[in-house]
Amino acid sequence: MPFVRLKCNESIPERDKHTYITDCKNPLVPRCNVNTIPGDMTERGCAFAGARGVVGGPITDAIQIVHAPVGCAYYTWATRRHLSDQYAWSGPGRLDNVAFNRRYCVVTDMEEKDVVFGGSKKLLKTALESIKLFPEAAGVIMYTTCTSGLIGDDIGPVAKQIEQETGRLVFFAEAPGCSGVSQSKGHHVANRQLFGQINEIRRKRPELITPEEERTPYDIALVGEYNMDWDLKVILPLLESIGMRVLGTFTGNARMTDLVRLPDAKLNVVHCQRSATYIADLIKEGYDLPYVTASFFGIQQTNKALRRIAGHFGMEERAEQVVARETARLQPALDWYRRRLAGKTVAIYVGGPRVWHWIKLLEELEMRVVAGACTFAHEDDYEKINARAGDGVLIIDNPNEFELEEMLESYRPDLFLCGLKEKYLGRKMGIPTLNSHSYEKGPYAGYVGFINFARDIHQAVSAPVWTLVNGKETVFDHVEHR
Amino acid sequence: MSSIDEPIPIEGVTYRQLEIEKKPLTPGYVPRDPALVPKANRAAVVNPVRTCMPFGAMFAGLGMHRGLPFVQGAQGCTTYVRYTFCRIFQEPASIANASFHEDAAVFGGRKNFTEGIRNLVVRYKPRVVTVVTTCSSEIIGDDMASFVKVAKKRLVSELGPEDGNRVRLVLVSTPSFAGSHVAGYDRASRAFLETLAADHSRPNNRVNIIPGMLMPGDVREIKHLLAEMGVAAHVLFDISDVFDTPLMPPQTLPYYPEGGTRVEEVEDMANSMATFALCPNEGGLGARYLEQKFEIPAFAGPVPVGVRNTDLFLERLARVTGREAPKTLRDERGRLLDFMADTLHHTMMKKVALFGDPDLVTGLTRFVCELGMEPVAVLSGTQTKTFAADIEGLTGEFGHTPAVFNGSDLFEFEETLKTMPVEVLIGNSKGADIARELRIPLVRTGLFVYDRVGYQKRPVVGYRGGERLLADLVNAILDSSYPEERTQQL
Repeated sequence: MPFVRLKCNESIPERDKHTYITDCKNPLVPRCNVNTIPGDMTERGCAFAGARGVVGGPITDAIQIVHAPVGCAYYTWATRRHLSDQYAWSGPGRLDNVAFNRRYCVVTDMEEKDVVFGGSKKLLKTALESIKLFPEAAGVIMYTTCTSGLIGDDIGPVAKQIEQETGRLVFFAEAPGCSGVSQSKGHHVANRQLFGQINEIRRKRPELITPEEERTPYDIALVGEYNMDWDLKVILPLLESIGMRVLGTFTGNARMTDLVRLPDAKLNVVHCQRSATYIADLIKEGYDLPYVTASFFGIQQTNKALRRIAGHFGMEERAEQVVARETARLQPALDWYRRRLAGKTVAIYVGGPRVWHWIKLLEELEMRVVAGACTFAHEDDYEKINARAGDGVLIIDNPNEFELEEMLESYRPDLFLCGLKEKYLGRKMGIPTLNSHSYEKGPYAGYVGFINFARDIHQAVSAPVWTLVNGKETVFDHVEHR
Repeated sequence: MSSIDEPIPIEGVTYRQLEIEKKPLTPGYVPRDPALVPKANRAAVVNPVRTCMPFGAMFAGLGMHRGLPFVQGAQGCTTYVRYTFCRIFQEPASIANASFHEDAAVFGGRKNFTEGIRNLVVRYKPRVVTVVTTCSSEIIGDDMASFVKVAKKRLVSELGPEDGNRVRLVLVSTPSFAGSHVAGYDRASRAFLETLAADHSRPNNRVNIIPGMLMPGDVREIKHLLAEMGVAAHVLFDISDVFDTPLMPPQTLPYYPEGGTRVEEVEDMANSMATFALCPNEGGLGARYLEQKFEIPAFAGPVPVGVRNTDLFLERLARVTGREAPKTLRDERGRLLDFMADTLHHTMMKKVALFGDPDLVTGLTRFVCELGMEPVAVLSGTQTKTFAADIEGLTGEFGHTPAVFNGSDLFEFEETLKTMPVEVLIGNSKGADIARELRIPLVRTGLFVYDRVGYQKRPVVGYRGGERLLADLVNAILDSSYPEERTQQL
């Protein structure tokens, strides 16, 4: 019976189908990507968070407009650490590279009268004003939320009108928070809608398509890479060193026109395989453009990714050269950290695919994953987890706060990889934690990024504070715990 | 295992390696379209200084002992707020959610609510659940008052009358489109007192304090002032031991911080001598409710920041309780004055701009005037009826006439500051980019400070808070205004 009932779930037996122990002979896929049970202290976000926070948010040269009361915009204003080579501040003067996505938070600030009478006009006015205020921006990206979605504001015609009146590029994503079970729905919706809009722009403005003379046989696009704490700075040189030219990224450090040019690549490389395989599939179907999946986390996976990409172009040799050079360079550091981390246990809690990406990565440090949990993983993610986890690992789908507490208390891992909300909880339990969503001091991708990751893990695990916290003999021993 | 004898063989990627080049387009500022700079001329809000109403209610609800907010809305409504709390306080924040999906949007949120409350109470055994509404639940027209009754009934039938009735449900209506986080906290203060406070006609010889959305360090400082005065108090929404908790495992599960206001204390607030809502717009509603219903004198603000405002708070406290201020507090006041005298050459006539929530900004404005600084622009992100008059009145006492922005956004503020000779900016972390563009220091204050550590732990209220603020201010000025060799010989 590989499904397990956690103690905290005795009164919510529905949760049993979401928690299991891995067993290679008897692989299980839990109930996943389904509605959250109300009141169970979920860690999930909403569809809007997926569309605005993850997919659209990193696009740098667009004015990001949230059609909602002020809160939804405020919380998504320069929160996630998807960096870009654009600046949020200039000193006197104006910059050619302004990061509109982080510098400005534009919102229609819907009020009661807008809820009653509809807010489409306000949205149009807001967009036109923003373009007037920031003429150096390439265009706008608009998002709806619960409020504008529920009152039925129609954003499509507004987008068309903005386009006609200003000639700017306009993208939009309609992903009200209460549509779908988690942020994953927002990724999906935004992928689909952006793809449709890219098609439309390519049809209407063919001059934006990459001209024939600018193309090379080695053009690739990186899909599902959001440039957390500058991951791209590590990934791009690697791809260039195996002879690739990266035409654009979806959507880390992306410009609006990069997105329009995505289908001009010869190959798509999908990094986040949960949030962006959708658009790779659509581009494959619509433009007959193949894709490969790749993970740039850890040495083995980065090796594999480079070989796979190069292999597609018949350039295996170059990949082998890079792999040999980089792994040799890395070996001493790897040994250094391995000596300090070997044998330690880890619990991983992330959004989706990073659990199965990172099981491999942690093995390279000879650390052992004892528990894993995903916020919005789908069936295929769990299949991959099962294939990699080994036996006896506790897996929780869409964990709630209580389950995470119980997991930490009963497994007492030496390290908890998690997001910001959970990391402080883990610490109260006396367990070293690391923000693995937007990193502590990244980048974490690729070869050198892996050293950053190992360093941050080492720093988290070996900090003297834990000896003091868990030290047995103090003068306070007679003081009772509550 | 020591890393001293065995250095790391190679380094990863350092931030220095990640520096990027700035590409200047123009050498000097190019003003934005002046017609669109005032917020009043725009539909667009650009860089707001406020967030949603549910935020304030959740802030309040987390200040209760074993208190859990339950948000009737989509999951983002809690995830974002929890994220924000974690950034500000570096502490966990437990908030439950009704998990609205499409079916709730179509059929209403009743099932989500009753089931959600049941699941929450059975597993977590909270003492009080703050029921927080959202844009979505208000738009789909959830009848929350009746939902609360149904949920309560279900709890009683499932858990028995004792456990079922033990948990108190407090409903706070917070449609985001009707106000900001300031209003959310204000409404929560009234909702809690309306629901819980009960007159036993047994005077408790205490005062009530409603701090507003101040930091744990501030609440501790207020408690210190009260203790020095020998005054016992009930603090409504006491976040001091909720959002600054010790690291002391093992913890009992589920994890609850030790602190917070107990339900019994709120019940007893109807028997107190007076209510002090330190921030008039964040808790004033609750104080006035007690005054109307139980005839308990209400004092709403000003927030005890700086000398005069702290004096006023202590004077009123003394008058209400009949207690005299002890020498220890006179000493604290004297030390602040001494500090002000020692630093006056750095503060006098410095031009300062302030932004943030209305109550704190008003208090801070008086303090910078007391320091001899000249406020040139003052902004409240949340519009209030009195803000403009308050600022004009108090700055007038010192002969200043700052530009006042009541309920404006940071875009208008920034563009205006670019036309003014400002030397210091006081506000929250969202001002960082502005400060860098203007090349002036930002002294971080207020609710949303998340890019520097320790703000939440030390007070800005009281005389000792004044010392902290003054130190922060002068150090920022020293860092930015003088060549290094001057500051080495103060």
